[in-house]
Amino acid sequence: MEKLLQLLFSGVALGAVYALLALGFVVVFKATQVVNFAHAGLLMVGTYCTARFSAAGRPFAVAVLLGIAVTVGLALVIERAFVRPVVQRSVVAVAIMTIGVDVVLQTEVTRRLGIDILPVGDPWGSATVEVLGITVPQTRVAALVVAFVVLGCFFAWARFSDWGVAMRASAEDHRTAELMGVRLGRVSAIVWVIAAVLAVVAGVFLGAFPSPGVSPTTSAAALRAFPAAILGGLDSTGGALAGGLLIGLAETLTQGYQDQLSFLGQGFSAVMPYVVMVAVLLVRPTGLFGTTEATRV
Amino acid sequence: MSEADTLRRTLSGRQAARLGLLAAALVAPLYLDAFWVQVGVFAFAAMVAALGLNLLVGEAGQLSLAHSFFIAIGAYGYTLFASPPGEPGGEIGWDLPPLAAVALAVAAAGVAGLLFSPIAARVRGIYLGVASLGLVFLGQHILVNAEPVTGGFNGRDVPPLTVAGFSFDDVPGETLHVLGVPFTRVEKLWYVGVVAVALAWLFYCNVRASRVGRAMHAVRDGETAAAVMGVDVTRFKGAAFLVSSMLAGLGGVLLALAFHHIVPETFGVLLAIEYLAMIVIGGIGSPGGTLGGALFVSSLPVVLQRYSDSLPFVAESPTGGGVTAGVAARFCYGAAIVGLLLVEPGGLAALARRVRLRVAGRPHRPALRPTPAAIDLGDAVAISDDVAPATPNP
Amino acid sequence: MTAATANGGAAGAGLAIDGVTVRFAGVTALDGATVRVAPASIHALIGPNGAGKSTMFNVVSGVYRPEHGSVRFAGQELVGRRPCEIAGLGVARAFQNMALYPHSSVEENLLLGRHHLTRSGFVAGGLRLPSARREERRHRVRVGEIAEFLGLAHLLPLPAGDLSHGDQKKVDIARALCVEPSVLLLDEPVAGMGAQETHEVGRLIRDIRAGLEIPVLLVEHDMGLVMEIADRVTVLDFGRVIADGTPHQVQNDPDVIRAYLGTGDDHPQIGVR
Repeated sequence: MEKLLQLLFSGVALGAVYALLALGFVVVFKATQVVNFAHAGLLMVGTYCTARFSAAGRPFAVAVLLGIAVTVGLALVIERAFVRPVVQRSVVAVAIMTIGVDVVLQTEVTRRLGIDILPVGDPWGSATVEVLGITVPQTRVAALVVAFVVLGCFFAWARFSDWGVAMRASAEDHRTAELMGVRLGRVSAIVWVIAAVLAVVAGVFLGAFPSPGVSPTTSAAALRAFPAAILGGLDSTGGALAGGLLIGLAETLTQGYQDQLSFLGQGFSAVMPYVVMVAVLLVRPTGLFGTTEATRV
Repeated sequence: MSEADTLRRTLSGRQAARLGLLAAALVAPLYLDAFWVQVGVFAFAAMVAALGLNLLVGEAGQLSLAHSFFIAIGAYGYTLFASPPGEPGGEIGWDLPPLAAVALAVAAAGVAGLLFSPIAARVRGIYLGVASLGLVFLGQHILVNAEPVTGGFNGRDVPPLTVAGFSFDDVPGETLHVLGVPFTRVEKLWYVGVVAVALAWLFYCNVRASRVGRAMHAVRDGETAAAVMGVDVTRFKGAAFLVSSMLAGLGGVLLALAFHHIVPETFGVLLAIEYLAMIVIGGIGSPGGTLGGALFVSSLPVVLQRYSDSLPFVAESPTGGGVTAGVAARFCYGAAIVGLLLVEPGGLAALARRVRLRVAGRPHRPALRPTPAAIDLGDAVAISDDVAPATPNP
Repeated sequence: MTAATANGGAAGAGLAIDGVTVRFAGVTALDGATVRVAPASIHALIGPNGAGKSTMFNVVSGVYRPEHGSVRFAGQELVGRRPCEIAGLGVARAFQNMALYPHSSVEENLLLGRHHLTRSGFVAGGLRLPSARREERRHRVRVGEIAEFLGLAHLLPLPAGDLSHGDQKKVDIARALCVEPSVLLLDEPVAGMGAQETHEVGRLIRDIRAGLEIPVLLVEHDMGLVMEIADRVTVLDFGRVIADGTPHQVQNDPDVIRAYLGTGDDHPQIGVR
């Protein structure tokens, strides 16, 4: 029983991290119709930078901020130099282009990492804490708390601030928003910045648990943002939350009960997110909360 | 000279060029050294599979990232069917004659594609793309875990191809000599490759100009309108996946023969992205472009490796100053995708066309066959190799 | 044009749309709408924008599934069938936004209309078997005939997107004819056309009715055309049928006038040129 509770807690914590990641993906898509395949690449760059700044002696919080700064800069460059010229022409071209960007980013980071696992320098390490009677690693608690705060800030911002409203307007109806004076270029830059921030925060936690640091496997974990975002509905921020949680729980539970599920083979927990996603898509082809496209003929 | 005449001239110029290429391909192994013949064999395998992907993405408008899964089925299928049972590193094998094994492997890949197609009927666009990605992960998982079948993580040896007693492999003690040139395994496989690519190409072009091609284009450019016009959309998506996966399977068989020993790691997400890169760089919807793109992406890593000492940034080993060839290759095609999409979304095919028109002194004008609307790359135009002389005389 | 229909006994049948109700997310697009199209007649469907006309077409084509109601043709129930099956029964359609493939040639666009009449699949097509080639030749000849009938023969090899708006509309109609229709649905066939072209298309539609003797259902805003060629007119407003009769009956119907112009003191006649 204790094990189940621990797994559930871990699952929710992991899910929260995936939710952050998926949200970054969804926000860019919702506001600009761009599918950003470079998202995982941004995560890797930011997390790698954080790890290096940590290793160079900076305090953890500073390292994270520096990592975020680097990634935000990179995101802005990508948005301005590569996305903006092409997005007017076609969003699919941009999507494919982000694949190209991702290949470049990930190749560079994995090259630098080699076979090393770089610790991110988090202060929690393998310390545990008692929560509601169960022993859980501190990293997971921290992940939950931070995710909660960040998500809360995001939704508040989206709801109440001027730029948040602009973003939602742009997502709702591009043309009208433009006619109403919303600076689409600014909105695009802003959502890419948000995506970068979310990616790095999520990446730092992925680098803290389950593995002890940043390595090429972190990139595989980052890829799971896609099924999370898809199954929640690519244009639904709430869906990103639901999708992230679902994926986190599915993965953790599958991993935890691996022995009982040994007939599925080793490492099925990496495949489970995709199985869940396909199952959801078969029932709801545009994700749990995504809007179905109406075809006009 | 009218543009119609220019096009007619360039058309037969094109036919001549193609025949010339074919002739060159037939005599090439006599002149090229073994390294380049090897590059060619891998390129041919990639070309066949890439044509399959272009059929699915370019003609039918279905975004699939699962191509490496179907290629894996072809590769492992052939190995499974043709290997004798009880070998170490793969107990299961049915010891069938290699040609039968090839046919079965291709069929298996096709069936797998058909089984996946109901998902394509239900799920569209980017959702389908990511769903198909799941197939790749699932495939790799199975490949690593099903040890008796696949040899697990360490992979499995690939039985050589023999047709009517003639072995497309090195036979110890008996080296075939053609016009004084020794024909080893790679030279023999080269011809298998040429035949496969030629057949695949012809098939692709025929399909594109036929009733099924029209139906696929309709599905791609407007599913609802296509259905109202009488196209059974679900069936055509299934058919597109079937044919595309069969081509992927054939490419997989060739790949397996070329590799001699296959491991699951080869058939992952990176390979799927490589194939996408091939068709984008070549030009979506253009079979000629696909061949060029396949050659470029598949040969880049080995070529860079070979010339790593003359290239300043490419190192021979991971610890040397610079990047390894594999890494450099990835940078290259990643950058190529980005660059091309910024400048000429129609890929190499569109660039070639621009050059051709510039040389003939004609202004740039879009060709008849486009980049598909569902995979619309904006003002990109993919190139039809059979452009009908379209313009009336001004 | 002869009355060569794909489905033998279907010539002479009418289209019966009964009590169709369609709801989308709280909006009632059609509410118990009934339209009876007599065989060999031109029946116009008119109404203000948003009245549900295109929705009606989509129900007949099988794109939308109505909550209630039925659509019967030649003894067959169309509701619940897939669009491609309905096309197979000979229900052909020209679209409001034409849905032509701009980069393909006009001939290729028209050939799509022959899809349900042809058989060759991947094997025959990919291997260019003689059966496929013969079939292709036969159907190209027929497409040529239909293009000739509409005065489009000289445009066949051109990319459809290069044509003028009026010509594109005609290609759309031609494509519907290539289906060898037993029912013809025309969605705003003269939208954006000048007086001369409208007249031409009007004549064309009358020739089609005379030649094929099929029910023709027409959605149109151009009242002049409707008055000129329609045998019967049904008026929709907010998804409901508010009038049904000959053009003259409908023209003077106060409900119809109110729907178009709102309440007012004078009663202008609609459709007077």
